[in-house]
Amino acid sequence: MSPNPLVSIRQLKLEALTARGTAHILRGIDLDIGKGRIVGVVGESGSGKSSLAACLLRLLPANVSRLDGEILFDGVDLVALREPAMNAYRGARIAMIFQDPMTALNPLFTVGTHLRDVLRRRHPGMARDEARRRSVAALSSVGFADAPLHVDSYPHQLSGGMRQRVMIAMALLVEPDLLLADEPTTALDATVEAQIVSLLENLRRTFSGSIVFISHHLGLVAQLCDDLCVMYGGTIVESGPVADVLGGPRHPYTRALLACELEDEAGGGRLVSIPGEVPDPVEMRDACVFAPRCPHVREACLAGMPALRDAGPGRRAACVRWEEVEFELSKPSQR
Amino acid sequence: MIVGATRPAPLVEFAGVSVVFDGRVRALDDVTLAVGKGEIVGLVGESGSGKSTLCRVLVGLTQPSSGTVKVGDRTVGEQLAQAPLAFRRRIQLLLQDAVASLSPRMTIGRTLEEPIAIHALPRAGARLELDGILKRLGLSNDVLAKFPHQISGGQARRVGLARALVMRPEIIVADEPTAGLDVSVQGELLNLLLDLQRDFGLTYLLVSHNLNVIRRVTERTAVMYLGQIVEDARTNELFATPAHPYSAALLSTNPAVDPKRRVHPIVLQGEIPSAVNPPAGCRFHTRCPVAQPKCTSDPPLLLPLDGGRRVRCHFPFSLAPRRH
Repeated sequence: MSPNPLVSIRQLKLEALTARGTAHILRGIDLDIGKGRIVGVVGESGSGKSSLAACLLRLLPANVSRLDGEILFDGVDLVALREPAMNAYRGARIAMIFQDPMTALNPLFTVGTHLRDVLRRRHPGMARDEARRRSVAALSSVGFADAPLHVDSYPHQLSGGMRQRVMIAMALLVEPDLLLADEPTTALDATVEAQIVSLLENLRRTFSGSIVFISHHLGLVAQLCDDLCVMYGGTIVESGPVADVLGGPRHPYTRALLACELEDEAGGGRLVSIPGEVPDPVEMRDACVFAPRCPHVREACLAGMPALRDAGPGRRAACVRWEEVEFELSKPSQR
Repeated sequence: MIVGATRPAPLVEFAGVSVVFDGRVRALDDVTLAVGKGEIVGLVGESGSGKSTLCRVLVGLTQPSSGTVKVGDRTVGEQLAQAPLAFRRRIQLLLQDAVASLSPRMTIGRTLEEPIAIHALPRAGARLELDGILKRLGLSNDVLAKFPHQISGGQARRVGLARALVMRPEIIVADEPTAGLDVSVQGELLNLLLDLQRDFGLTYLLVSHNLNVIRRVTERTAVMYLGQIVEDARTNELFATPAHPYSAALLSTNPAVDPKRRVHPIVLQGEIPSAVNPPAGCRFHTRCPVAQPKCTSDPPLLLPLDGGRRVRCHFPFSLAPRRH
């Protein structure tokens, strides 16, 4: 990916204790987040995409038993930081927009209080007037027509779309180097989602930081992101520039996921699905995680977990057979 | 799906149906809709558009304030009054939250046997039928001893479907049947619904916010906005050339992966107004990018266009999505 990334994640492993045993939530993640890039992270439920964001903020549940590997943020390993040092990154250099704007705001405080708290964390000692002025400006920039009025609103007085705009305003006031957005439009109605997506697209012009955009919606990622990272069963199976990956997927899972999108017209044919079930995180694996559901599986796939390897300019795929599979699929007799 | 074929005789008919809650919330407003026998009709619209209320009225859980709903040749009200069990066997509702629709205190086996007892179906026959259905749905017998929290979301969907099918319904109303399912398994469930339609001549009313699912699975689609049907058309025609500006905007907000299919999203201003105090004139005029003076005062009617399409707009086809 980029030669000088903002974040370099190397062999990140996350495990947690559950009633059924140790869950392998992240099974060795390697990912670079380029400066100023929007990186889309896609995957089905349980693939580990939200856990990856949680690791970047190091906001992890209490049952985590192991966090291993490196998260180099501007050269500093976040995994190794002590808690007070890590805390200096949260809400300062790294900010987050959550999925559910209904629960992310405190119902007891006004929008203005939320924004002022964020500002004062970033700029301790900022005067009240100045904080209010900048809060109103921030609300205007995310599309509030009556910003001076809404700054005194409570969350329950706002619709879901407006609350998500407040969340975005809070994140932007932080002026973070890295913005994590975990399914920021999933809870919204379609036409409101379109408004938020268009807002995020416009923000690209003014926001210079990097964005990790977590989503299960491939079309949205295609529209909004520069790079794409496809996760499955706690691993990254493929990464690269978004148009290249979606235009010519290398990993069989990416290819299958794209086919499941049902974008093609009705032709009376069967709808595509991936047989089998997503891997159980409790299961220890020493083979490709996708092998049990992969139509192209061979013995080589079962000999150890495949590492991400080069798959074209700026692209990587964790499949030992991607070249062979591509060749097989290109033969007309196959279809 | 044969293009140009005439529609089958209606099995379900909504005629001028309105539902008013607390005397002021117009959840449904003058809904007229026909669903033919064996047809798959999709229902799309955002929250508050009345999709779920329409489903509830059809299965008899909500009474219409005015208008009539017929299933076959008699109204839902009549059938519920005279033979409630027989009516409920005709039409089954699949709820949106599949796991929550199963009692947490009952094993799957008991959940599936309950309707057989309630409807006093011949036990042996129904059990045999249930076995066949479970096999058909790919549910193994060990699922019967489990509780809802011990099975996956996809399995819970299939259990809900099995519970509906054992009644041998004519109509299935499915409220977001793929919600919460991972994209890799939703195709399997939809294939199953399509197979059942073919084999048993089932009729579906299918609510979904997933426009790709609607496009692939349904034959007709009704688009709803603020309690009204604003467009009702053949699904392929609706997606190719939406007539109502709201349909055009809604369909444009579904970003495609394939660059060749991508259109410029039509971003509407504002949000859906309250159903307590809907805008005068056309209900969509406050957000419509092509509204004209007439739209602010004259409420448009749902009128037929060529090709069996109906649209509630004074100026149909005035907003078209732009391709990239």
